[in-house]
Amino acid sequence: MADEVRDGLKYTETHEWLKIKGNRAIVGITDHAQAELTDIVFVELPTVGKIVNKGEELCVVESVKSVSEVYSPVNGKVVNVNKKLEDSPESINKSPYDDGWLVELEIKDRSEVDKLLDAVAYKKSI
Amino acid sequence: MVNRSPLYELQKKLGARFTEFAGFEMPIQYTSIRDEHLTVRKSVGIFDVTHMSNLWITGKDSMKLLGLTTVADATKVGEKQSQYTVILRENGTIIDDTIFMNLGDKYMMIPNAGMNVIVTKWLNDQAKKHKLDTKAEDVSMDFVILAIQGPKSKDTLQKLTSVDLNSVKFFGCQYIDIAGAPCIISHTGYTGELGFELQITPPKKAETVFNKILDAGKEFGIKPIGLGARDTLRLEKCFMLAGNEFHGGRTPLEATLGWTINWDHDFIGKGALLKQKEQENYDRMTCLLCVDKGIPRHGCVIQKDGGNVGIVTSGTLSPCLNMGIAMGYVRHDIRAEGNVLDIVVRDKPLKTKVVKPPFVPKDWVQKNLENL
Repeated sequence: MADEVRDGLKYTETHEWLKIKGNRAIVGITDHAQAELTDIVFVELPTVGKIVNKGEELCVVESVKSVSEVYSPVNGKVVNVNKKLEDSPESINKSPYDDGWLVELEIKDRSEVDKLLDAVAYKKSI
Repeated sequence: MVNRSPLYELQKKLGARFTEFAGFEMPIQYTSIRDEHLTVRKSVGIFDVTHMSNLWITGKDSMKLLGLTTVADATKVGEKQSQYTVILRENGTIIDDTIFMNLGDKYMMIPNAGMNVIVTKWLNDQAKKHKLDTKAEDVSMDFVILAIQGPKSKDTLQKLTSVDLNSVKFFGCQYIDIAGAPCIISHTGYTGELGFELQITPPKKAETVFNKILDAGKEFGIKPIGLGARDTLRLEKCFMLAGNEFHGGRTPLEATLGWTINWDHDFIGKGALLKQKEQENYDRMTCLLCVDKGIPRHGCVIQKDGGNVGIVTSGTLSPCLNMGIAMGYVRHDIRAEGNVLDIVVRDKPLKTKVVKPPFVPKDWVQKNLENL
């Protein structure tokens, strides 16, 4: 089973990962999530500048059969999106923690990050 | 209660993920929908479609009952022939689409999954009402149904039977032994590829047959295929899925199944269809190919210049074309080939154009093999 959980990242129970750098976070979906979704064939990314609230829809990833929402793990603002996914959504399957990143957020309140799961806790949850 | 195919444990071992469909827990996919889809288009795959229903129709008036309750003239369906048709209510709307097989001594009908009780009752009620000496019997639980589909399906099955499969014509059917088990074979399918369907009884014989077919197809790269790819394969060919395309009451004229109707015989619903035919102003099933990137889904609204003109009944990403495709009902006067219509996906219009079915023509795979 492809269920890599990478150390040093933060996680949510809804299978998003975050790579924190100062007040910014790169967000993607976990290896476990991509394996569950199987062939990802379409990604709808948010517009840069969009204000997002924790738990709200951040992007949409679609497999052949299903439509899944990716939730924003924190309150913040979208500052960058992975445009390459529009032409190669399969990067999320092939490289969920690297080439398959989704968006970069500016985190509104850094203390929210502490409430997220670490790798050990996320591993236990899947 | 959820039913399981007798092949459930075997499929689990083969790596299937399951989904519930019409009361059955069936494999949705094994490896990936795209991979399974392309395997069938290029070579051969085996599907378990035991969730489909099986009825025996027996008695001297069987043919009359089939003529009365379907849009096909059953007198034209000779021995060893199968017929695709629809069963209508008096008001012309479709109860179910089905195939019936003339096996000589009796007929077998294959209604959709979960339709066995409704169709059996409907047929027996009509037989009684019209004083016909015939009976429909629901034997769905006595049969396992396998579909072997793809350009290498004939070569695969031929290894397992002494009957020359070239003698089983397109939409032909007959009793046969496959891998030592007595079956009914029909040269039919739901993928648009060369293919066969097997009705196997008793169900406990099916596992051996399934395994022997996997063995026989090994040299062609055969794979077990789930319901996910079954849906994308049929959608690329614009075949109807009853639960989607007929939901809410649609007539065969609306569903563009007019070609199945034999107007020279009397059948239930004929009067209503004749009336509708005269009116002409009814919505019709229309095939839409996406121009913009995006995937239309069941229930999306179809628009022209911001006004609603129809609804999507089935939509997906076409694994062959790598573009969104959709079937849906569209207002009769704006569905000419090439017309541009929008499908609204998550509040945004997705540009599409009307195309002639099917999305993926017969010779498409051969022409595009190097890109797949």
